[in-house]
Amino acid sequence: MAKIEVVNVTKRFGKFTALKNINLEIKDNEFFVLFGPAGAGKTTLLNNVAGIQIPEEGLIRFNGEIMNRIDPAHRNVAMVFENYALYPNLTVYENIASPLRSPLYKKDNATINREVHRVAELLRIDHLLERLPSQISNGQKQRVAIGRALVRDPNVFLMDEPLAHLDAKLRHYMRSELKEMQSSFNTTCIYVTHDFLEAVSLGDRIAIINEGSIIQVGTREEVYYTPCNEFVAALVGEPEINLVDGRLFVDNGKYYVETLEKGYLLPLPESSGIVRKLVDSEVTEYHIGFRPNNIKYTFEKKDGLIRGTVYSFESIGNKAVLIAKVGEKYIRMIAPNDLKVKLDQAVYVELPIHKAIFFDAQTTNFIGTSDEAAIYRLVQEQLSKGVQ
Amino acid sequence: MKRKRIVSNAVKNGLLALYALFALFPLFWMVLISFKSDAQMFNTTFIFNPTLENYDAVLLRTDYFKYFIDSIIVSVIAVLISVLAGVPAAYALARYDFKKKENLAFTILSFRFAPEILVVLPLFMIYQKIGLYDTYFGLIWVYQLITMPLLIWVIRGYFEDISVEIEHAAQVDGYSWWQVFLKRLLPLIKPGLVSASLLAFIFAWNNFTFPLMLSGTYVETITVASLKYIASDTVHYGQMAVAATVSALPAVIFALLIQKHLVRGLSFGAVKG
Amino acid sequence: MSKLIIKNLYKRYENKGKKKTQPNDFAVNNLSLECEDGEFIGILGPSGCGKTTTLRMIAGLEDITAGDIFIGDQRINDLHPKDRNIGLAFEDYALYPPLTVYDNIAFNLKAKGVPADQIKERVMEIAPLLKVEDLLDKMPISLSGGQKQRVNIARAIVRRPGLLLLDEPLSHLDGKMRQALRTEIKRLHNEIRCTTVYVTHDQLEAMSLADRIAIMNLGVLQQFGTPMEVYDDPANEFVAGFIGEPPMNLLKTTIIHHDGDYYFTFENSDLRILAPRRYYDLLSDGMQVKMGVRPTDIFVGGPDSKGTPVKVAVFEDLCSERRIGVRVGDELVMLITEDDTRYRQGEMIKLEVNGEKTHLFDLQTGNRIRPNK
Repeated sequence: MAKIEVVNVTKRFGKFTALKNINLEIKDNEFFVLFGPAGAGKTTLLNNVAGIQIPEEGLIRFNGEIMNRIDPAHRNVAMVFENYALYPNLTVYENIASPLRSPLYKKDNATINREVHRVAELLRIDHLLERLPSQISNGQKQRVAIGRALVRDPNVFLMDEPLAHLDAKLRHYMRSELKEMQSSFNTTCIYVTHDFLEAVSLGDRIAIINEGSIIQVGTREEVYYTPCNEFVAALVGEPEINLVDGRLFVDNGKYYVETLEKGYLLPLPESSGIVRKLVDSEVTEYHIGFRPNNIKYTFEKKDGLIRGTVYSFESIGNKAVLIAKVGEKYIRMIAPNDLKVKLDQAVYVELPIHKAIFFDAQTTNFIGTSDEAAIYRLVQEQLSKGVQ
Repeated sequence: MKRKRIVSNAVKNGLLALYALFALFPLFWMVLISFKSDAQMFNTTFIFNPTLENYDAVLLRTDYFKYFIDSIIVSVIAVLISVLAGVPAAYALARYDFKKKENLAFTILSFRFAPEILVVLPLFMIYQKIGLYDTYFGLIWVYQLITMPLLIWVIRGYFEDISVEIEHAAQVDGYSWWQVFLKRLLPLIKPGLVSASLLAFIFAWNNFTFPLMLSGTYVETITVASLKYIASDTVHYGQMAVAATVSALPAVIFALLIQKHLVRGLSFGAVKG
Repeated sequence: MSKLIIKNLYKRYENKGKKKTQPNDFAVNNLSLECEDGEFIGILGPSGCGKTTTLRMIAGLEDITAGDIFIGDQRINDLHPKDRNIGLAFEDYALYPPLTVYDNIAFNLKAKGVPADQIKERVMEIAPLLKVEDLLDKMPISLSGGQKQRVNIARAIVRRPGLLLLDEPLSHLDGKMRQALRTEIKRLHNEIRCTTVYVTHDQLEAMSLADRIAIMNLGVLQQFGTPMEVYDDPANEFVAGFIGEPPMNLLKTTIIHHDGDYYFTFENSDLRILAPRRYYDLLSDGMQVKMGVRPTDIFVGGPDSKGTPVKVAVFEDLCSERRIGVRVGDELVMLITEDDTRYRQGEMIKLEVNGEKTHLFDLQTGNRIRPNK
């Protein structure tokens, strides 16, 4: 168990700068997720914490102690690799036992036996202990790799896209199982992923990282309801958030945004404080984000709704995504799985202005949200943290 | 269907037998004549009075065993040195990026391109000057040209096949670099190391040009020694056959022992788990 | 634009290894499908289920062991691939690197000797449909994966094939790109209405694209029906477990008879579910079957609910929805809710299962047990 600090870390590979002045503070016992697209530098950061790579600039601290010059073996970290990295010539049992046989963390045989069986039971692989890695499935290999880390009592538990190579079905299942096991980890975890669902399901806090820089660090609610810019908004959420152009419009002391079509006005909700935020920002051109699950639609003409045509209708498991073409804009919405709909038929869309996220059209930075429930929840969260 | 399969199997086996006969006949012939006396050498084929007089002459009445031991000393030590130097070199070539890496790797391989006869004359002059001529060390040294490239190239492939994460995993598990190398990597390259070493040994053992030119009195390998049975007046084919048969034994025995290993070991990708 | 009919199709590979060929060792085993003109058919199954083999037999890249394939009225078993009038796009883009995008798309037409002005007309007609009109002068090497796959599909449809075959065209693309192109493929089909066979292992792709889905496993067709049919009315346990994300919860259950009603009970669990009346003729006390229920048909009951109290094993907040997992015996049972309440691991909830929405499967064969009508 340890508090991990990453201070002003810069890592270069030749002329390429993989990490640019990264600062992070990961609390003791926290499950911390590094989330970002491929090539963002997530794995590099993890390798720097593990000691597999050493930063050119900056410090890595465990519980305040500088780790830069300590080799991986002596950092007491456990790591799960994307490609599992099991020892192909050793049985599952020996793979899991490997850390306990190393000169540094050596335990007697009875302890090893007990620990390996404890971990194997937790991971439901106790029937595979005598097999070789080549004789088990990918999902099982993944469990063995996790087992090799769980068998120890490390400062920090590092996981590098552990589910990325599994097929969709298994990945969802393993994610739920990992969530179930989380409470038995009992140590600080840093988890790298490019999958939004893994990030929000598992992370106590999420750091969003892109092109070697940290974009935002926050809880699931913070990054989902108050993303610091459009990049984060697009990354967090599935299907992707809809971003439409909008302009502030004032009439008779009432505030509106004009969006999608000229003259299509949405009244800004007074109580949410969004009006104040928009006015204070002195920005009048916005990109307004609407989450697909908040958008309502109907197939009958109704006042105040904007007309579009059905561009596509796709089932995504237990629900479906309906895409409406409004002018040149495509609006994604969640619909029930069994909706009867024809392509190109008319659809009327209601943009939920009371659940909108506003970004500066120029800088793409976050200005404010009109979602009162979200704001309330965030405040509650802050308060409960204060109480703790 | 079934009948067709039986016929095609019979044809296949027949052809294979024919090839085996073709391939093994010279060996068989050599063994045959090692049992013939000089008198019967040219006037008999398969039916003759087998005699051990050639064996007696070669093995007991000449320094044959000394040549045999010389061959073993030179070949074994040459392979050992190649393993000791070649495995780390192969690791470096597989894992590290450094300037002109591929050029270096190619240079090592190119030692095997040049015909030995091309380098052996200058080497002869140099060896005589610096006192390496006709020494064990001199031969072992020059044998590195044969054994080292083979080892490096085979083992490099093995190291490249092991994902670097396995090393990282072992380091994180609490092993120092040397322990990772010895406990985790070495077992994984073992099949390649064994087969490449044995192949290198066979190549070194069979080499003729280098010992012919660079040694001769104090150190003499068995391949060169076989020439001794060409006397000024006559060629003792029988004795030569004995020398050749015995000298071929280690190679044949090794090849049979490691046959399975050899095919699997030399085809890369064998360690992927 | 033609009908595709597959009749009693078999494929068996000659086993080159030492293993004896088993009598039922078919890569494709008695497959019959009828696709209407202009229909979009998905062939769905796990790897090794025979879906790609089927596609390759339709394309003529693989010999047919037994059975017939018709396109329109013509039996095509013995036709050369080039004479089958089929457009084919594989998982790998395999564009010709030295040719521009335009020349790549035009390649087949040129080979057939179509006049240049007609080629141009057709390429220009196809390019906007796949949004590659701005890429026509580029070289394949400068394209992204998604763009390459668009060009690849354009190349397949530019010859106006009677039948379009797509083999996992999205599997090399990353998440966002995959979704975008999936939508485009759907639109494209709506535009050109070419009979299409789409092979995939991803149930999401099949569900979202196909008019009808053929689900295969171990070379055998499991079910052929519309996405909602295979979702709501699975033919067997395999289909039930394959379709849907998260998939249907499948649990071994023992039936008990109590006070005139039948209940599903589970080993090492207090969970009890009232069996729907329509099954009563089929059930008996002590009978063992597999019960399946979708994650959307399980609910968390309120304080005065009669549901079974269970411990929350997993709570996943996925922002737009929440998933709750509970352990029933050894199995993890998932439910989905859009309700905003947060739960902690270990918290007790009352689990309510919509018994009416349960499906039953035979323990041995995995076949659906259907109530008598």
